[in-house]
Amino acid sequence: MTAALVVDDLHARLGDLEILRGVDLEVPFGEIHALMGPNGSGKSTLCHVLTGKEEYAASGSARVADVELLGKSVDERARAGLFHAFQYPVEVPGVTLDDLLGELALLADDPEDFWRRVDEMSERLRMEPFRARAINVGLSGGEKKRSEMFQLAVLSPRAAVLDEIDSGLDIDAVREVAEIVESLRSPELGMLLITHYNRILRYLRPDRIHVMVGGRIVASGGPELAERLEAEGYESFQ
Amino acid sequence: MFDRSIVERRLELDPGWRRRRRLAAFERFSQLEPPSEREELWRYVELDFSLGDFELPEGPGRPIETDAVAAALAPVASIRVVDGFGADARAEVEGLVVGALAAHDGTTPSPERAVERAGIEPDDHFAAAHEAFTVDGAFIHAARGTRVPGPVYVDVQLTGSGIAAFPAVVLHAEPSTELPVVVHLRSPDGEYGFAAPHVVVLAEDGAVVSLTILQEWGSEVRAVGRVRFAADRDAVVRFTEVGLGGRYARVRLDGDLVGPGAEADVVGAYFGENHQVLDYRYHMRHAAPHTRSDMFLKGAVEDEASSVFTGLIRIEEEGQKTEAFQTNRNLILSKGASAQSVPNLEILANDVKCGHGSTVGPLDEEQRYYLMSRGLSAAQADRLQIRGFFEEAIARMPHHALAPIVRERLNRKFVEAQEEGRL
Repeated sequence: MTAALVVDDLHARLGDLEILRGVDLEVPFGEIHALMGPNGSGKSTLCHVLTGKEEYAASGSARVADVELLGKSVDERARAGLFHAFQYPVEVPGVTLDDLLGELALLADDPEDFWRRVDEMSERLRMEPFRARAINVGLSGGEKKRSEMFQLAVLSPRAAVLDEIDSGLDIDAVREVAEIVESLRSPELGMLLITHYNRILRYLRPDRIHVMVGGRIVASGGPELAERLEAEGYESFQ
Repeated sequence: MFDRSIVERRLELDPGWRRRRRLAAFERFSQLEPPSEREELWRYVELDFSLGDFELPEGPGRPIETDAVAAALAPVASIRVVDGFGADARAEVEGLVVGALAAHDGTTPSPERAVERAGIEPDDHFAAAHEAFTVDGAFIHAARGTRVPGPVYVDVQLTGSGIAAFPAVVLHAEPSTELPVVVHLRSPDGEYGFAAPHVVVLAEDGAVVSLTILQEWGSEVRAVGRVRFAADRDAVVRFTEVGLGGRYARVRLDGDLVGPGAEADVVGAYFGENHQVLDYRYHMRHAAPHTRSDMFLKGAVEDEASSVFTGLIRIEEEGQKTEAFQTNRNLILSKGASAQSVPNLEILANDVKCGHGSTVGPLDEEQRYYLMSRGLSAAQADRLQIRGFFEEAIARMPHHALAPIVRERLNRKFVEAQEEGRL
């Protein structure tokens, strides 16, 4: 069985600056992994390099359900099954969520099934009032993250990277987002949750935790790793 | 062609109120040179035509068939102005008069008052030419208290090559009226023609006038348009222009808020392609206290097209407690395209709220990246972004029945450019 997401010796530079220096990572289907690390360790860069943001020059390998991502355009990666929940979801003035869903339905294998999922998930995630509004415009931090999770849910990706979906949220909103992530756990999907803080881990059970420092994974382990981080901070990993 | 003999023939048919104006205008026309880029009001454009390229038609050509616009609007009244000649007026609302300007026979309300108050002065070559050589146009009058329940459709056409037309549209909204009007400017693609439409609006106390110009001149038309309105006490003028056609298409707006509490909402959306030049000179004058104006224009240019927006808000000493805003946002979609955006404020009063914003730039990379991360192709993402860009202007337009057509025609220009591989 292949994994949802396999990252192999991934390097990335921004101009002369090497930010990812050989990342190795594997998230099997059905699992949720947490990626933790101090500011500047390269966590967000990893998300954008996987998504294919142009400004990074990447080498190595990153695969979603066995499909190589590197060398593909942003949309090809998404259609290969990658979903990236943005840390700062971008505002798209004048374009409603329904406009976007309409375009996505055109790409779906089974549009009818797609709209069924849209209706089901918009009810479950209370997204109904946001569908006729411009994407992310005027939404609170929690609402933006919920909108990201809603899009994840309707797109049925094979691998999802969730970039600090807990940042800037109050504790109730963190719990809600964590519950949504947990509810989306499925044997068809592997998720990598990037977080700076421990608190979201109180509400969901990652199968594994990876620690990133200086553009590399320096430790991987079970939930006990989060406890060690809590007690010792990142310094002991450097 | 543009000489005294024509003016004299016109004078014979003129109603009294127009004779004096025509003569004075011809006087000015004889003195005025064609405009040059050195003049502030003509900066950024180089005219590639002159009036001498065109002839004044003897009569109207064969009208162009009605299109989807008239059907979508379901107008309560309409009139056609073909090559400068008014015809086929229809109005079935009590208190509403719609007719050809030249046909005014003294039994109906006269255009004189509106023209006296808000008529366009012969202050440049083209305006003087219009006032000197115009034949006809549309006159729309709403009597005191009349609420016109749907739009009046004014179908202004240019039908042939080599023609110069000077159509006039005069709107007079008496006190406490509601008058919605859509002026559709159109001509066949490829025909080299000239039009100088003048639209004049008098909105008296408490009147609400919604005026939309849908500009769909053919690809080789040179158009020098003027719009002027005067808004009296508590009157509201909502003026929208959608600029789609023409090789060179200019609108100069002079908005005059002359009564206390008068308001103006000005909206624009334009899309230039190929070698189009879309030229907007919008002036708003606040000459009374508690007046409010908001200008909001969005435009895109691609290929070798260019656009100009120069906005001027002038607040006179009497304009205390006024609010005035202007926003102009431009998307440059190709390397060869350009947009000028120059907002200006002249404030002589000391207790006012004013603001302006102006941007010129490409499509937003972050938006494209975000939308592509959901699986949309770059082309799909850009189409969505363009749609959203114009949607903010469309949402402010007063004639909702027109929104689907405006949306479709603006977006179609972008899609065509994509499909033809220009973007």
